[in-house]
Amino acid sequence: MTLKHIIFKPLICFALPMVTCVFIVSGIGWGQEETASFIRRYKQYEVSSGYYEQYEVKPRHERPFVEIPGVRTGRFPYSPSGAAVRFNARRADAHQGIRFYENRRCEDCHMAQTLDLHTIRANLTCRQCHGGEPIANNDHYFSPMNPIRRHAYVCSKCHQGASAAYSAYVIHEPNPSLMATQESFPVLFYAFWIMIGIAVGTFAVFLPHTILWGIRELFFKKETTVEAPHEKQT
Amino acid sequence: MKNRLKRFTPVQRIFHAVLMLSFIFMGATGLSRMYMNTPWGKWMGSLFGGYDVSLAAHKYVGICMIIGFLIHFLYLMIKINWLNFPKSVIGPDSLLPRPKDMTDFFQHIGWFFGAKKLPEFDRWGYWEKFDYWAVFWGMAIIGVTGLMMAFPLFATRYMPGWGLNVAFWIHRIEAILAMAHVFIIHFFIAHLRRHHFPMDRAMFEGSSDLATIKSEKAAWLDRLKNSGELEGMLVAQAAPLRRVVFYCFGYAVVASGLFLLIGALVNFRFILW
Ligand code: HEC
Ligand code: HEC
Ligand code: HEC
Repeated sequence: MTLKHIIFKPLICFALPMVTCVFIVSGIGWGQEETASFIRRYKQYEVSSGYYEQYEVKPRHERPFVEIPGVRTGRFPYSPSGAAVRFNARRADAHQGIRFYENRRCEDCHMAQTLDLHTIRANLTCRQCHGGEPIANNDHYFSPMNPIRRHAYVCSKCHQGASAAYSAYVIHEPNPSLMATQESFPVLFYAFWIMIGIAVGTFAVFLPHTILWGIRELFFKKETTVEAPHEKQT
Repeated sequence: MKNRLKRFTPVQRIFHAVLMLSFIFMGATGLSRMYMNTPWGKWMGSLFGGYDVSLAAHKYVGICMIIGFLIHFLYLMIKINWLNFPKSVIGPDSLLPRPKDMTDFFQHIGWFFGAKKLPEFDRWGYWEKFDYWAVFWGMAIIGVTGLMMAFPLFATRYMPGWGLNVAFWIHRIEAILAMAHVFIIHFFIAHLRRHHFPMDRAMFEGSSDLATIKSEKAAWLDRLKNSGELEGMLVAQAAPLRRVVFYCFGYAVVASGLFLLIGALVNFRFILW
């Protein structure tokens, strides 16, 4: 066997078919690659933004679970904000036609929205989130506050890496103890009252129990005859 | 004179001491944030380096606490006698609740009113079991909700953001419940009751006063006598210097707890959020 054979035989047996395969089969491969990467490329994007390809189909992440009275029954109808159906919720200027708007401060009209962590604790101004004039409705298609892009345009200014799911956090959290919250944010309402129930239940039992115990023991002297631990106590 | 009965192993006492310190620390940093808009909260926050630093400290110590909890869980798993498993954890030496706790509870209440005899408690009274499991469940709840809020971006990969609103309130109420329970009921039972006044040293010294055990845990004492284990479990009390250390440590924690409790109650109506 010459060197020529050693080189050429494997070349003809393996390399040639392989090269052929690369050229022929790869044609199919490219086609697959196109579709596969189409899915892969968009998946990340979809998850974070709610965009599906070029269509917006998921304006809010929790929508499938949300009940809209008279419109749709959800599988998990306890999330906040989904049930809010109102008119004039999609205007480019939410304050269009409101008189004397220019002369007043946000909190004159939106008292309830000033009682949240970001305003009270983190000292944010309304405009740091809601932006300059005109303030669009939160659900206005092009509003930065629209849930499909809120995380990217608003929250991630301060919360690096905020995702769409993250920005489903309810900024203007309703007071969990109020009956109104049972409709606007049922999970919060029930969680709050169940926890309060556990706390109150514990104290309703153990507070009187402990006080009575303390009083009773004032009238009960323990034996001090430690010398004879072997006798049974009566 | 050997007049004390062994009750806790050194490892158990270390768990308790670490839990005490981290609990007080978490309570103080947490309350300092909750009361940030009151002078009391601001002053307390300044002890820990301000509003932001106290949150960072709260997170780090919280994570340590969770690790401690996991270690405790491992400890339990190692300590359980797996060979005759279900039997080994339902006896009177176990902290698991059993029917007798219920009857003990009602008999004890009857005794408060002089209607019944003092129940013969075994090794663990029902209130001690309640304390243990309350902490156990509290750690799990506060730990999980706390982790959600400490890593919100990670958490919201698996849940919608409004879960953080819910987690926050569960965290807050459970923490208030835990602190109120420890600072009022647990402290009262361990310090102010006549039998334990001024302090039940069992958790520090590892042993209980035999006279107290005799009147309070009669069934346990009987059981030890009958099985002949009693002699081996009697110890003398700790040296005076160690006792001084125990009292100082115990009372320092009680004082901090009562400080938090009173401050929190007085300022409660000023909380904005
Ligand atoms: C004169 C009272 C008034 C003032 C001042 C005012 N608003 Fe409004 N705002 C309203 C009213 C009324 C609506 C509801 C409009 C509707 O529902 O059609 C509204 C709607 C909104 C909305 C849209 C809500 C939604 O659901 O889409 C936002 C956001 C908003 N205001 C933010 C602000 C901010 C930020 C400021 C301060 C810069 C402010 N407003 C000042 C009266 C006021
Ligand atoms: C951290 C960002 C942030 C700040 C600061 C903020 N908002 Fe909002 N606001 C939001 C988001 C997000 C929504 C949408 C809530 C939703 O869709 O559930 C919202 C909704 C609203 C709404 C609609 C009604 C509602 O409660 O959903 C009004 C009105 C409003 N904000 C007013 C204000 C005012 C007034 C201030 C200042 C005191 C303010 N906001 C500060 C983020 C913010
Ligand atoms: C201008 C900066 C800023 C913007 C914009 C902002 N935040 Fe925040 N956010 C903060 C700060 C500061 C804190 C910490 C507050 C504290 O420590 O009490 C915070 C805290 C939070 C927390 C933690 C709350 C808790 O209970 O622990 C959440 C969740 C949150 N923000 C969500 C959002 C979402 C969702 C948006 C978008 C709608 C948003 N933030 C926009 C500054 C901002």
